Amino acid sequence: MTDRTHRALTRRRFIGSTLGSAAALAALPSWAQGRRLNVLSHAVHERVLGTGEGDLMAAWKAANGVELVFTTFDSNPLQDRLFREASLPATDFAVGYIIDNRPTSEIAKLFEPLGPLNAAAPIEDFADIAPGLIQGMTVDGNLIGIPVRHATQGLFYNEALLEEAGIAGPPATLEELVEQARKLTFTSAAGTPVTGMVLASDLAVFPVMFARAFGGDFITGDFRLVPDRAAMEKGLAVLRGMFEAGALPRSYATTRNDDMVTWMQQGRAAFTVLPFARNAQLNNPEQSAYPGRIKAIPFPGSASLPAGTPMASVVEAWAMVIPRNAADKELAWSFIREVASKRVTLGMAINGNGPVRVSSYADPALTERNPLAAVEASVLATARGAFPPFPEAARAQATMLEEVQLAVLGRKSVPDAVTAIIDRVGPMMP
Amino acid sequence: MRTDRLLIGLGKGLAVALLLVWSLVPIAFVVVSSFKPGRDIFAVPARYRFTPTLDHYGALWGRWWVFVEGLWNSTLVTAGATALAVAASTCAGYVYSRNAGRMLGASLLFLIVVRLIPPIVITLPLFPIINALQVNDTHLVLVVLYATFFVSLGTVLMRTFIDQIPRELDEAAQIDGAGRLAILRRVIVPLAAPGILAVAVFVVVFAWNEFLFAFIFTGTRTKTAPLVISEMIGSIDGVDWGILFAASTVQLAPVLIFVIVMNRYLVAGLTAGATKG
Repeated sequence: MTDRTHRALTRRRFIGSTLGSAAALAALPSWAQGRRLNVLSHAVHERVLGTGEGDLMAAWKAANGVELVFTTFDSNPLQDRLFREASLPATDFAVGYIIDNRPTSEIAKLFEPLGPLNAAAPIEDFADIAPGLIQGMTVDGNLIGIPVRHATQGLFYNEALLEEAGIAGPPATLEELVEQARKLTFTSAAGTPVTGMVLASDLAVFPVMFARAFGGDFITGDFRLVPDRAAMEKGLAVLRGMFEAGALPRSYATTRNDDMVTWMQQGRAAFTVLPFARNAQLNNPEQSAYPGRIKAIPFPGSASLPAGTPMASVVEAWAMVIPRNAADKELAWSFIREVASKRVTLGMAINGNGPVRVSSYADPALTERNPLAAVEASVLATARGAFPPFPEAARAQATMLEEVQLAVLGRKSVPDAVTAIIDRVGPMMP
Repeated sequence: MRTDRLLIGLGKGLAVALLLVWSLVPIAFVVVSSFKPGRDIFAVPARYRFTPTLDHYGALWGRWWVFVEGLWNSTLVTAGATALAVAASTCAGYVYSRNAGRMLGASLLFLIVVRLIPPIVITLPLFPIINALQVNDTHLVLVVLYATFFVSLGTVLMRTFIDQIPRELDEAAQIDGAGRLAILRRVIVPLAAPGILAVAVFVVVFAWNEFLFAFIFTGTRTKTAPLVISEMIGSIDGVDWGILFAASTVQLAPVLIFVIVMNRYLVAGLTAGATKG
């Protein structure tokens, strides 16, 4: 007893206690914090909301006494984490960002239906949000996400290379695009070997765009698989012909999305298909050998399409959702309402976000800063997702891409590849 | 005969040179590119002559402060995991070295088998448990997981090192009145220091670079540097290769320096017990 009460404070005990306490403090969550809202998103979603004096959420945070805490991941890990968090009995994340091709019926059940919340405390001018994007977030009749960002695909071209090859202007039809891409497969004056067009082989976007240029599709919104076989065959035949002519990179099978940006910036390719939002990066003088010379237009449809038929470009959208197991849904909805407001949507658009409100594109504050605003708005009007969400969508995309690659590389005839797409993807359809 | 030797020597030299090129070129590319102006990094034809710039490091500091926080988190977690794994491995290695028995033998085999299980198999079922315990997104969870993952290999290594320390030293200390703990602290640990350092090197390299556990179990507060680098490769708004390479260089430097300094212990760890009769 005496021993215990009269123990002296030795140097060893002091250091040990200090280290132990420090470790405990570092390990345990802090209790001394105010109201906080945890958001699970991509870094770009946080970045477009601004910081410091440009913080678009400053007033909302002050009014609600809330600290916003973003946990960010890259797209696929983010979706994985969001679904895992939403599957737990409870989650600390009150708001998550979801991609529009993910919410199947099963996944949608993990999130709060937002219709009743919107009825009770409506989002400002809700009808102003692009109806196609709202439709993409409506699953089994329930609105589960509020669109916040879109990436709509356009055709980018290197104006300087076109001039060098003696081409007066960008293509108006798919046939012209193919012709120009062939002409632009050459060695430029800078000594750079140029490929007419660069496309990644691991994304469904590109074969889908080429099929749509002939009025076809991969899977329609009402789940029809390859609704127009001839159009799909024509689209793939064009890709095959371009590869054969060297107008697609020899490394097509291993070309990825980021290669497309790098190749365009370095003048190694004359055309590519990327979201309009990439315009700033492609023309960034710190990265690009052609700053200000890389332009964008809508992806052209085939001349064989009946006049007036719009080319439906591919759009991918992000939306904000509230996990059903989140604690403070009222605060989460308040956050979503603020982010979806006209002011914040415009502010985010100025910061490089694809605005989901039609009115943002008409605002001079945006059009002055974004030279592609009008083009993007016109493309968005008819754009739709590459394919609708369904449980086997990822496997269906991988299967389709496998067959497309075989066709483009010449390992399989185009008709055989299309037959294989129909036969193999068919059983995966909902 | 001399020609044969010359050819063999040349062949060996060529093989070593190829191996060096194979392993060093990607690292050299990353490090050199981090000092290149952004537009020159992927220029074709390649630009080998350029004016070095620290712009990417400045941008990393200014725009990716979260990376600096990630480095601090990585440092804390690596230090904690190393201390815990080394302490546990040394104690366990001592027990396995100085005791024998069927149960002990079986448990050692179990340790090795557990090490062979792919981490993802353990990770996902742990996610709800860690959440329920409310230790998600703490340094503690990563420290414990990393240490746990390495204790098995560490124990085997430490047992091999301690096996080489004569038991007579234990007995002499025992005669002088030392208990098990005192023998461990005053006899075994000083003599097994090279083994302890070898285990530390393995844990440091593993914990500093680990991605999977950090991805599953961290959020805002304890995000480690490899997670932040993976975000830089994010595909929504494009990759800024200069900043990415600067971050990779910063991430690589400490562990590279540490491994170079500790190289001989690493080799000792890899060859421990190799000459045991």
